[in-house]
Amino acid sequence: MFEFFTLFFIQRALLIGAVIAIVSGFIGPFILYRKMSFIGVGISHGTFAGIALGILLGVSPLPVAIIFAIGLGIFIGFTSRTGKISEDVSIGILFSFAMALGIFLISLSSGYHTDIMGYLFGDILAISNNDLYLAIGVLGSVVLWYILRSRQMKYMTFDEDFAKIAGVPVGIDYYIFMALISLAIVVIVNFVGVILASSIIIAPAASAKSLAKRFSSIVILSIVLAEVTIFSGIIFSYSLNISSGPSIVFFVTFVFLLSLLAGKIKFIKYTKRNSNSE
Amino acid sequence: MIKVNSLSVRYDNFEALSILSLTIEDGKFHAIMGPNGGGKTTFIKALVGLLPYEGRIEIDGIDHKRYLKKNSIGYLAQRGSQFSQFPITVLEVVEMGRYRFKEPDHTRKNKAFEFLKVFEMENFASKNINELSGGQQQRVLMARALATESKILILDEPLTGMDPKAQSLFYDMIKRIKDDFKLTIIMSSHDVGFISEYADNIICINRELIPHDKSAKVLTCTEVSKLYGPKIGIVEHHHLHSEKDDV
Repeated sequence: MFEFFTLFFIQRALLIGAVIAIVSGFIGPFILYRKMSFIGVGISHGTFAGIALGILLGVSPLPVAIIFAIGLGIFIGFTSRTGKISEDVSIGILFSFAMALGIFLISLSSGYHTDIMGYLFGDILAISNNDLYLAIGVLGSVVLWYILRSRQMKYMTFDEDFAKIAGVPVGIDYYIFMALISLAIVVIVNFVGVILASSIIIAPAASAKSLAKRFSSIVILSIVLAEVTIFSGIIFSYSLNISSGPSIVFFVTFVFLLSLLAGKIKFIKYTKRNSNSE
Repeated sequence: MIKVNSLSVRYDNFEALSILSLTIEDGKFHAIMGPNGGGKTTFIKALVGLLPYEGRIEIDGIDHKRYLKKNSIGYLAQRGSQFSQFPITVLEVVEMGRYRFKEPDHTRKNKAFEFLKVFEMENFASKNINELSGGQQQRVLMARALATESKILILDEPLTGMDPKAQSLFYDMIKRIKDDFKLTIIMSSHDVGFISEYADNIICINRELIPHDKSAKVLTCTEVSKLYGPKIGIVEHHHLHSEKDDV
């Protein structure tokens, strides 16, 4: 069992998993409370189009995916802020388009690409040092953003109109947030694939929301739950020799269901205590 | 003093509000009355900077848009449209009003706490605002509006859903803070009775200014009918007074 931890690719996967858990823990709760949960799906599929374009051009897919994802994130934000459609509508349209574009671009490129499945469902064997450096860079940006702008984000998420009146540059903060979500999604797509990426960013935050009351507790608990589920998923996938992406998503979803149950029990206990005291 | 000239607010091609000329004097309680869809909220949102408009608004002789770049206006939105379920403490909510003041964290928190005291909500400072009752939330949001230290306080139908006693207490509170903080208060409401009793001036709006006799503080039956429709009149009734008044 402990030989598992001596494997270099596993060490790298655990390290990048730890980084992703922290990134998700800081960003996820804001996505959840801003009711933007669908954004993960939209941007991850946009990333696929970027990867496909990189493959077609014969260049490293990662930088192209980053540009694509940030472009798509800001475009979704722009259409929903300036148009008359909600984020969900623009995401719903754009993510299908991005997926279709990705498949179209890949079919244009010559040869058979075995790594497509890896991009779709994740492959920890395919994680390179560059992916790890990118993840650490994104972590640095997210932590810096949280230190400098989380107060403004809290105000905006609670009451955007008053935040604007109070002088918070809500437009700038919104687009910075969209760009950070896009960067985080690119890192997560590298890890668990396009199809499964959104659950890593949303589910730990949703689980933490059921269990904690204060926002700071929700953030900390999101990070802890993401760490536990990602590590468990990697170990489980290695033990059973299955893909890491689905394995991690199983654990993330299992913890989410447990948190719902725990939240329900907490609520019943609270109601009983209140009715007894009356 | 707020001066409005040739104001026009549009939603696409629909002109929701048009005001040729209006002056709102300092230090008074101005009530905005008018039917639903008549443009009260539109006017208020334009005043606080949430809606674009054509025309000119001046505050203390300064162009409104320039004024809002450096100053906030105290604002209380319509009940039910005020905030999300985001878990934020009462103290943090009031701290929002201090955003423009570049002050250290502890000063901001202390100031916010002082404004909570004005509304006797200091014991709730560390509570999540979503755990409070509607009336308590309203007082916290009033504290937040005052925390901006704006001399203008704009309230958009703050009494919706309140029983007559709560309404009476609310008006007493408005009167008290208006005098204590020397505020200009602009408030939209449908309550002809309370408005007649408490407001210094009534602004009647139904997509444009509706003229009425400014010398009288009370709207006449004809004026109310003109504003709300021919079947609406005034029924005389006595208001409940708060316990404070009885003492």
